[in-house]
Amino acid sequence: MKKQTGKMTTVRWISLAVAVVLLVSLPFWGGDYIVNIFTLILMYMAIGEMWNLLAGYAGLVSLGAQAFIGLGGYSLAMISQVFKLPFLLGFLLAAVISVLFALIISVPIFSMKDVYFTIGTWLVAEAVCVFFQSWAFVNFNVGYNITVARRLSGTAMYFIAFGVGLIALVAVVIILRSKFGLGLMAMRDNEAASEIRGVKLYRSKLICFLVSSAITGIAGAALYLNLSYIKPTVGFGIDWTVSMVFIAVIGGMGTIEGPIIGAIIFVILRQLLYNFSGFSMLILGIIAVVMILVAPKGIMGLINKKKGFDLFGVKRTVDISIFKEDAETAAAK
Amino acid sequence: MLQAIITGLLMGGLYALIGVGLSLIFGIVKVTNIAHGDLMIVSTFFIMVIVTKLVNNIYLALAITIVIMAIIGFLIQKFLINTVIDQGAETAMLVMFGLSIAIQNALTLIFGAGNNALPSPVKGTNFIKSDLVSISGQYAVNFIVAIVLIVGLALIMDKTPLGRSIRAASSDTMAAELMGINTKTMYVWAMAITMAATAVAGLLVGQTYSFFPYTGTQFLIIAFGVVVIGGMGSIFGTLIGGAILGLAQMIAAYLFGTAYQTLAGYIVLLILLTVRPQGLLSKKVRK
Repeated sequence: MKKQTGKMTTVRWISLAVAVVLLVSLPFWGGDYIVNIFTLILMYMAIGEMWNLLAGYAGLVSLGAQAFIGLGGYSLAMISQVFKLPFLLGFLLAAVISVLFALIISVPIFSMKDVYFTIGTWLVAEAVCVFFQSWAFVNFNVGYNITVARRLSGTAMYFIAFGVGLIALVAVVIILRSKFGLGLMAMRDNEAASEIRGVKLYRSKLICFLVSSAITGIAGAALYLNLSYIKPTVGFGIDWTVSMVFIAVIGGMGTIEGPIIGAIIFVILRQLLYNFSGFSMLILGIIAVVMILVAPKGIMGLINKKKGFDLFGVKRTVDISIFKEDAETAAAK
Repeated sequence: MLQAIITGLLMGGLYALIGVGLSLIFGIVKVTNIAHGDLMIVSTFFIMVIVTKLVNNIYLALAITIVIMAIIGFLIQKFLINTVIDQGAETAMLVMFGLSIAIQNALTLIFGAGNNALPSPVKGTNFIKSDLVSISGQYAVNFIVAIVLIVGLALIMDKTPLGRSIRAASSDTMAAELMGINTKTMYVWAMAITMAATAVAGLLVGQTYSFFPYTGTQFLIIAFGVVVIGGMGSIFGTLIGGAILGLAQMIAAYLFGTAYQTLAGYIVLLILLTVRPQGLLSKKVRK
């Protein structure tokens, strides 16, 4: 029986190439506002994809992803403000610290199942937040101004965001098109059955968790390079995870395209509602609730129901002629 | 040290009352109500508005709020959770997460982000005052009310026909339905009762601490702690969970200073979650 990932057909290559060309050339034809919007979309897409990789594929619903945003942001702040090193090193440090931290906390939180995992991740993030507030090394709860951000042009920031978005997307596509990704999807659909078929549950979940943490950390550094100010209550605030959940839920959990659509909607909605700051989160919350009630698989779920749209070809198709042959030989007997 | 232990235990009573609603809903409906803390703060705000705008009696305000919260619980369970519950516990949890965000921001819009406090007849008084220990009147009241209410809830669940139906619906959905119990209706009742009890917790919290629209999260984490230590779904477990959490916080505050009070709570929780992921007291369920 042949199981194969969807071929990268000409249509797929062309649509991806057009998207890449448009995004790379954006700063040269788009205005400042458009560039800024796309900077945000790309970064939010990255964190949405990472949350989705955990929740939609590995079955790990985390409410503690903000821990890695904060760690990433602080890595950048410490490198550029305290150690006066080139800020790009901050991204490296963000990835390293995030992976190490993820590795350490994976020991306790992976012993927790389902909802306990969710609570555990949240507690970890809250604990880190409280700890940073009373830690002199990171300037208590005052935090840092990230001054290097002010010398950065909008275009440079855009390309950093583009890089982060690209890393996130490429990582997810590579993971899901690989055999490992097939195991992940099997694990999501039926944990027990996939384990019997040889999927190593613990290892698979851990790899997903580490990849997701590393890239969330990098994205956190980029987000704080853009925001240019970090303090514990905001850096480790649950609002980050709220956005990730929103992006994944609206776009469609368990799809790669979902968080892309979700991030576009999220950023645009937030900009539109910018002048009504209190309303924006209220409306986003209501939209998310209604979306789960009406279309639990998100916008991608609606699109997929109409026609099997799959931009990155991560779905496997089975050659059904084999079954027909089997049935015929069985009938002949 | 003795003072820390006694204060910790008394705080534990209130913590248990905050946690008992979360525990009940998890035990019965099998849904983690992430909006639990926010719903409690909603009831606190209701009491505040009613007592300042409508009636001048805090107990009457509480009675009205209990009815309102029971209705809110009814609506939430009937139209939100029951709709998605067949898609799994995680979907329902995300719905409540969305609701939690909506509540926090709606409250901020209406009341602003500032601190509020509820009037209390026993504020500033002391239940016991001596050189050795002193117990504030508010803490004593919290503790007594919490114990009475939790025992009352346990009796409702244990002895009344409604309680028995609710427990039947949660322990074996299919068998309960075959016996003619509408399980989803039972969930609705359970949520309404829980929210009524949460309104009382809301009153005590509002009298003891200052509160603002975002405090819900803080109390949700306390509720999680209580429930995780005591075991999800166990009513009396919340009392023990509350006591352990309160003690851990007060002893840490006594030993390391108040700055570490919250952190100590989290760390105790994480350790307990790691060592006994299913809760300290809950029995292992085999499936």
